[in-house]
This record gives sequence, structure tokens and C-alpha cells, in this order.
Amino acid sequence: IPEMVSPAIALAFLPLLLTLIIRYRYYFVLFYRAILVRIWKDCVTGLTREERAYQYILTHATPGDPDSILDAFDVWCSKVEFISNIGPKKGKILDRLLMEQSPLTVLELGTHCGYSTVRIARALPLGARLYSVEMDQRNAAIAEKIIRLAGFDDDMVELIVNPSDEVIPRLRSDYGLERLDFVFMDHWKKSYCPDLQMLEGSGLLGKGSMIVADNVLFPGAPKFLRHIRKSGLYEWKIHRATLEYSKGIRDGMAELVYQGIK
Amino acid sequence: MQVRPEKRERGKRRRAKNDQEAKGRERDEEEQTKIKSAKTTKTRKKEKSRKTEEEEGEGESEERNTKRKKKHGSAKKEEKEEDGGKRTVKEKAQDVKKKKHKKVVETSSEQETSEESSEDNEEEDNEEKEVRPESLSPEELEKLKEAVDERKKLIQGLRGKPWPMKKKLVTLRESQEFVEKYEGALGKGKGRKLYAYKVMMTKKWMKFQRDFENFKTACIPWEMKIKEIESHFGSSVASYFIFLRWMYGINMILFGLTFGLVMVPEALMGRPYGSIPRKTVPRAEEASAMDFAVLWDWGGYAQYSVLFYGYYNSQRAIGWLKFRMPLSYFLVGVGTVAYSYMVVIRTMARNANESGVGDDNSFNFSWKMFTSWDYLIGNPETADNKFASITTSFKEAILEEQESRKDDNIHLTRFLRVLANFLVLCCLAGSGYLIYFVVRRSQKFALDGLENHTWWERNEVNMVMSLLGMFCPMLFDVISTLENYHPRVALQWQLGRIFALFLGNLYTFIIALMDEINLKREEEKIIKFNITMWEASLYNSTVSENSTAPPVTIHPADVPRGPCWETMVGQEFVRLIISDTMTTYITLLIGDFLRAVLVRFLNYCWCWDLEAGFPSYSEFDVSGNVLGLIFNQGMIWMGAFYAPCLPALNVLRLHVSMYLQCWAVMCCNVPQERVFKASGSNNFYMAMLLVILFLSTLPAIYTIVTIPPSFDCGPFSGKKRMFDVIHETLESDFPAWFSKVFSYASNPGLVLPFILLMVLAIYYLQSTSKSYKEANVELKKKLQTQNEENKKKNKRAALKAQMDLEEARKAASQAAEQQNNNASLQEEETDGEENHGSNQRLHHSKNGRNPPPAAGEQECHPPATRAPVPRTYHHGNHGAPGYLPGFSRQSEPRMYRVPSLQRH
Repeated sequence: IPEMVSPAIALAFLPLLLTLIIRYRYYFVLFYRAILVRIWKDCVTGLTREERAYQYILTHATPGDPDSILDAFDVWCSKVEFISNIGPKKGKILDRLLMEQSPLTVLELGTHCGYSTVRIARALPLGARLYSVEMDQRNAAIAEKIIRLAGFDDDMVELIVNPSDEVIPRLRSDYGLERLDFVFMDHWKKSYCPDLQMLEGSGLLGKGSMIVADNVLFPGAPKFLRHIRKSGLYEWKIHRATLEYSKGIRDGMAELVYQGIK
Repeated sequence: MQVRPEKRERGKRRRAKNDQEAKGRERDEEEQTKIKSAKTTKTRKKEKSRKTEEEEGEGESEERNTKRKKKHGSAKKEEKEEDGGKRTVKEKAQDVKKKKHKKVVETSSEQETSEESSEDNEEEDNEEKEVRPESLSPEELEKLKEAVDERKKLIQGLRGKPWPMKKKLVTLRESQEFVEKYEGALGKGKGRKLYAYKVMMTKKWMKFQRDFENFKTACIPWEMKIKEIESHFGSSVASYFIFLRWMYGINMILFGLTFGLVMVPEALMGRPYGSIPRKTVPRAEEASAMDFAVLWDWGGYAQYSVLFYGYYNSQRAIGWLKFRMPLSYFLVGVGTVAYSYMVVIRTMARNANESGVGDDNSFNFSWKMFTSWDYLIGNPETADNKFASITTSFKEAILEEQESRKDDNIHLTRFLRVLANFLVLCCLAGSGYLIYFVVRRSQKFALDGLENHTWWERNEVNMVMSLLGMFCPMLFDVISTLENYHPRVALQWQLGRIFALFLGNLYTFIIALMDEINLKREEEKIIKFNITMWEASLYNSTVSENSTAPPVTIHPADVPRGPCWETMVGQEFVRLIISDTMTTYITLLIGDFLRAVLVRFLNYCWCWDLEAGFPSYSEFDVSGNVLGLIFNQGMIWMGAFYAPCLPALNVLRLHVSMYLQCWAVMCCNVPQERVFKASGSNNFYMAMLLVILFLSTLPAIYTIVTIPPSFDCGPFSGKKRMFDVIHETLESDFPAWFSKVFSYASNPGLVLPFILLMVLAIYYLQSTSKSYKEANVELKKKLQTQNEENKKKNKRAALKAQMDLEEARKAASQAAEQQNNNASLQEEETDGEENHGSNQRLHHSKNGRNPPPAAGEQECHPPATRAPVPRTYHHGNHGAPGYLPGFSRQSEPRMYRVPSLQRH
């Protein structure tokens, strides 16, 4: 059988291959940690990723101490497996924004396993209330446990197990909310834009309400960004950072301050 | 003669008069009146229209107003004239004519009409005096003129005024109205119309100049395209396109030379196709000579055409023009190279003049602060990027500054840089070996016979070279992120590396070619021997058969011929250029266009943001493209001697590249994240081009000088060396004394001293330029020290002024105690103060319509160097009457002198 392509030509593609590998190495690492390792562990342990994380935290963190729980989470996510939490670096920005704003009513979309909920609740002033929305039942159960483990009770943190697009229209009627001071978005990137529009429509946002959205660059929410650029309702900026627990992938956190219709 | 100033002011007054008049003035407007008014205002209308031409609708409506007003005025005047004199239409027309010609024709025309016209004028005078008895005196006129000039100046300098835009606009509009209103009314002694004419002409001239400028810009090819790209991508990307255009220009000239002096004469005046063996496709190839695959490989009919060296005949003079073809071929070959050297060196010298002044190292932060913005950016996204890059560059510079003081991480950086260079060297060596391997293999294939191998194997060398040239730079780019250089430095490293890669590839290729040339020459020897045998046998057979019969005519396609190595070299280069071009375009289409399409349309249904995240759109790779262009040019220079079609091909390629790349950049690339100005790198490109020019002419000259031309193809066939054509021409076409002179001149005894002299001259010039540079540096240092000294002086002066102020305050407080005692003195001083104030007011009003103060008045005022702060201080002070009055006047000049010191 004659060779289709000579080996020399194939060898000439070696630099291209090397370039691609080196340039996108972080993505390959991420792919390995977030998907391959997860599938492998799922098969081996028979538990979900969130349950494994909870087990680790139970054994490694001090109950009642949010800081120690967050640290344990960070260690697990960077050393053992990967969960897309907000992470320590972007978390610091979030902490700063919360300190500056000191909101009384906070809505969190996307609890996942409670990392960001604990992080937000930790930084809230006395008497503030945090509503956390999670769609997935199992994740919500674990998040509930972790939140309680960190020492936050029902008065402070209320977990709502429902999809965000169902919860937002009913916030005013079911939960008696008048105004949201702070909204943190970290759920499905596709729903950033519709949820934001829904929030605008619900009238819960007042002048000065702050909305923070994580992962707007990677995985990215282009429609969301386009919307905030076009609508003119917000003063906004993007805090550039890297993806949580990864060095080379650039990501951003959008900070929006609602200005209302002028 | 009193009439004239009156006339000059007529328009203005008439307008003023008409402002008061009602619209219904035109009661009995006859035909004549209309004619008259039209004619009298004709010239002025023209002038007006010229002036207002540049303004928009507002101006037009105004113009219309003024026209109507004028009409009213003349109508009214007409009325009065009719009351008094009752003239005929003809007379009036003549009268008007007179006015138009400024009474020049007065003497030559009939007596009657002139009398009447003077009467008419008198009447006008009366009428105008009635309307406006306070006629303008010459002084007033002068004032008006000065005011107009003042306004004009204001309009010109408005752009530089530190005012808010609103104020500027208002001022501009007011001044323009003012100028327009009174400019026409003014005139020098020779008459208003001449003046108006002059004004009109200057305006027309200015407009023409502006149009001409626009026209010139429109004539520069692709200027608008490049400007658009520049506004979107910054000057570094635009610099590539400017370079491309420049290259296109040079190639046009090369193409003109080869096409006009080599290809066209041979095609038109040389022997036609099929007349001699070298101009005929051999019998064995005839069947496939028109196949596309063969033509695509530049064989068949393409090989036996004016496109390649082998087609040219060695006939000394062709056609009725006696065109010296071989000489022309040789001289064009030399001329293209000489011209290229000249152009590149001239451009380099010009660029060096422009950029040689600044040194980037000494005032790093000032440079960054004041010069980092790229003013040609017109795209918000690029501006954002530029803004971000400036901020990061500041951050980096600060970090660098800190690091240079801390100096702890330097070892890591050094290690990484060494590592990066090591990796790059490995890569270079690998690519060099790969090409060497491929070339060896292809020689083996050539020995086997190319027909037995696949297309891939036949084109392996070109493919591998193109692929390596495309992918290795990417790898270098990735590796260079290790080094953490400033982008400009990184770009230069990158360019250097790609340069090394391309050069290595090219020279490997040339070495392979040399081997092949040697092979062909061996073959040629054998064939030459065979041909002599063949000819002898042919001759013998004809002789033996029948000596009287005509010699057997053999079709040129059947004549055996040598392998023409020159044509082979030319073909190789053409193939290389073609494959290179194809690779470039395909990369562009796949790497940029397809990627952009995928990113754009897959983004709707993908789980992450493709546009902002992972694949994203590609950036325009300036360094790679520039180097590609340079090496492409190098190949042209190398191969143009053996394939006269190369410049034409290159022109075509550059032309297509221009459009394709412009389109690709605008359609599928995003602005670079780290935008930086390209002003520094232009000469770097030029230097590279010069090096390539040298390196590419080297092998060409080597082959021309050392290898004897083929015996049966090309313009130099039958000669020992190609440059023998010069000798031949000298001997046969020039008089004997000339060749003698030439032989003396080419004597080493004369050439060597000449070269020595040139070296000395170069040395001298270089040393002078060095000394100039040193002098420049010295002057700069001097300037700096002087600046510092001035600063110190200013500080001292300011301190002194402050102390004086303190003292004066003290004195003032003391004086306040003694106020009652010396009241008379105070009175006197306040008078002086008031005078001073009025002077200043006058000075202030200079900008308005009032005339400027006389020179004498100005003299008592401090010199015109004024800082705003002291003046307000002064005002504040002179508002308070109780203070010691001498103080303000004393301190003021001192305060003024403070800023003025800086000028010395």
C-alpha cells in the first residue's frame, strides 16, 4: 500500500501540534480534572462529586466556622477534584463588594454546594437575609447541610429549591420581598440574560442595587454582556481574573449597579 | 474723488439702512430697476457666495437675506434717481457698466454718459448722506479693518485656545459673521472691488488647494483602506499594509523593467515559437504539453515561452530596432538588483532621520505618559484595548522599576529566557534537519524518475518548507511567552527567530538546488558529446547519400538538447513562490475566515462563549506577515534572473494579497490585545529587507559569475560566462578607444585605489555623523541642566517674591496705623492705580471691536508675558483701596518675570 502522505509532511505538522498543546494546556488540564477525573471517581466511589466534597469537608473542617469550611473547600477543589465554585481570588472581590455595599436583602442564583452561599453569608451585616436558589434537589440537600454546618440558620439563609426562572416572578408574592440590594449569579450561564431581564421586569431592583455575575468570560455569557452593554440601565465593569482553581484561563466577574431608567 | 470711500461703504450702510426699512418698499419696481439692481450687486453677490460657500444652510439663508436687502436698497435708490433725472434704460446700463469697471473706461467713452454718470454718483452721494450722515472717516475705516483682521486672527487661532467647546463655537460663529459682514465693505485705496476680487481669489485658491490635497490622497492607492484598518487596528497593523504597498510599488518597477526590456522585445521581435529547438516543446513532451497538471508545474508550453530563461535566443541584435537582447537581459538583471539596493538604503536613511532622535530609556514614564496613545485609532474596541494596554504597560513598567531595584526574581527570568532560546534552537535545528532530509529524498526520487511517485512526494520539499514556515513561528510565539519581554522587544525576538528559520530553509533549498545544478551540468556534458556525434552522423549520412541534395531539414522538436539548468532554477523558484502563495492564502482562509465563521455561528449553540473564550477570533500576525513578505521578495530577487516572469507573478500576488488581507483583517480578525505603536519597528523591517536582499543576491551573483551558461539555451548560450556579454558589446558596439579606456579602468591598479577611496569616504562620513550624534547628546544634556537650573531659579524667585509679599504685608499693616498721617500720598497713589487699571482694561478690549491701545500706552504695562494668576491677584488687590498702593505694581512685574524666565 503506497503511503498517502509522506512522513516528512506529517512531521512538519509537529510544531503545530506542540503549539496547540502548549497554548491550550490549561484547557486540557481543566478537561482532565473536571471531566475525566470526575467520571472516574463517580464510577469508583458510586457517589456524586458534591457528596464527595461534603465528606471531605465533614472530615477536614471545623463545624460552625465558615472560614475553615471555605478553606477546606478550596483545598479539595484545587488538590483533589474540581468544582466550579467562585474560588478564593474572585471570592475576595465579592467579599469587598459586599463589605462596601452591606446589603440587607441578597438573592443568590445557583447555590450549587453552598460555597458561595457561605461566603456571602459570612460577609453580610447583622439582620441581613440571603435567599439562595438552587434547581437541583441533590445539590440543594448538600448545600443545606453545608450551610447549617457553617452555622447559618433559617433566618439568615433561605434555600429555595426551584429553577430560577420560576422563583424570580414569585419573589415578591411568596417571599414578601420589596427590593433586592444584592444579586449574585452563578447558575447556568444561559439563564443569566433572561433572569436579569426578569429581575428588571419584577421591579425588585432599585437604584443602587448591585448585581454580580460570575464566569462571564469563561464559560462566558455573551448575551448577558451584550444586554448590559445595550440596555443602559447599569453602571458596569468587569473584574478580570482567572478561572477558579486554574491559572491560565482568563475569566471575569461582572459588577453591575442598577441605575434605573433615566 | 470723495466718492470712492463713500462707495466703499455703500453696501454696509445700505444694509444698515435696510434694517430699518419695511419690506413693502418695492412699490413700483420696474424692469429697469431690476436690471440695475442685479448688475450693481452682481459682483458682490459673487463674492458673498464664495465666502458663504463653505458654511451650511444657515449661511445660505443669510446670503439670501443680504441679497434681498441689497435689492431693496438699489430699488429705493433707483426710485430717487428717477425722481431727479428720468433716464433711459440704455444710459443706466452704461452707467452700471462704468461702476463695474471702476471708471477706467470713463475717458474713452462718450462725453455725455460720463457726465451723466458723475451726476448719478453725486446723487447717490446725496442720497447716502441722507441715510447715514455720520459717514466713516478713514480712521474709522482703519479701525474697522483692524477689527476684521483681529477677528480673522481669532478664527485662525481658535483651535488652540483653552476654552470650552461651546464658547469656541459661539465665538467662531460670531467672528465669522462679523468678518463676512464687514470684509466686503473694506478696501484699500485702489477700490473695494479689487479687494473683493482678491479675497475671492484667495478663497478660491485655498479651496482649490484643499481639493487638490484630497485628490492627491485619492490618488494614493489603497490609502482609504489602510486608513480604515489603521483606525480599527492601530498603526502596527497598518504599518504592515503600508509596507505591502511600498513593496508593490517596487515590484511594479521591477516588473516594468523586465517586462518592457526583456519579455516584450523577445516576444515581438525575437524569433517566433517553433523556429529553433530552444523555442520548441521537444517531441517527447508534446503530447502532454498542454495538460493542466503539466502547466501547473510550469512545464510544457509554459517552460518554452518568454517566461523562462531558456527560451531566449543568443542572437546579438533582434528586430528592425537592432535591440541588443542578451545585453538587455544582463543589464536588466543587474539593474533590478541595483535599483532594489538603492531604494531600500534610501528608505532606511530617511527612516533613520525620522526616528534617530529620541532615546527611549531615559524618560521611560514620561514617554509612556505623553506618547503612548495612538491617535489614529477610531474604533471603540481598539481604543479600549489600547487603554487597557497602556494601563498594563504602566503597571509593568512600575513592576519592572521595582524589580530592577529588588533584583531577586531576575535569575528565574534569565533561566526562562535561556530555556526559551534553547527550545527555539532545537526547533530550528529540527526544521533544518527535516528540510535536509526531504531534499535528500527528493534527489533520490529525481534519480528514480519523478513519474513513479505521487504528487505528495514530488512536492514534498515545497510542502514541508511552507508548512514549517507556517507552524514554527506559532511555536516560537508560544515559547516567547516564557520570556516575558516587552511586546516590542518580543516582536523583535520573534522576527529574528522567524528570520533565522526562513533563512535556514531558504539556504537549505539553495544548497539543494546547487547540487541539482551540478547534476544537470554533468548531464549536459554527456548530451553535448552525444549531440556532436549525432550531428556528425547526420552530416555523414547526407553526404554519403547524395551530395547535391538539399540538406535534410529536421524539425526543431526532434533536435536533441541539453538540460537547461537555468530554466530548471527558474521553474523551482516559480513553483516555490506559487506554493508559498497558496499556503498563505489557504492559511488565511482556514485559520482566519473559517475559524471566524465557526466561532461566530457556533456560538449560538455552544456551551461556552466561543468569542470571548477559547478559540476566539484570530489576531493579525504582523511579524509573520512582514517576514513572509520579505522572504517572498528575497525569492523574487534570487530567481528573477532565471525566470523573468517572477516580478509579474509577484505583482499579481501582492495585488491579490492587498485585497484579500484587507478583507480578512476587517472581517475576521480582532484588534490585538496589546496594541503598540509601530513607529520604532519600521526601520527594523527595512534592515531585515536589506539583509535578505544581500543574502538573496549572493547566490544569484555566485551562479552568474562562476557557472558557465548552458550551451544551447538562453541569451548567453555559447559564451563562457554570462558577463562576457559586456565585453562583447564593448568590443563590437563601441569605438575602440572606449573599450581601451574601459579596460584601463577595470585594471586592478585603478580599481583598488578607487575602492580604497570609497572606504575612506565612508569612514569619514561615518565618523562625522558620529560626532554629530555626540554633539546632539551634549546639547540635550545642556538643555536638561539648563532646565534644572531654571527650575531652581524660578523656585528662588518665587521664594523671594513670597518674602517680599510678607514684608509688604507687614509694611501695609504698619502703614495702616499711619494712614491718617499721610492721606495725601495715598490719594496720589490711588490715582496711579486707577490709571493702571484703565490701561489694563484697554488692553483687555483689544480682542473686541475697539482699536488696540497706542504703543505708548502699552509701554507702561508689563510685558506681554502674562500668567493668569498674577493678574487676578492684581485685580483683587486693586479692589481694596486701603492698602499701600505701590506694592501691587512693584510685585507684579516680578511675578510676571517668573514664567518668562523659563524661556531663556
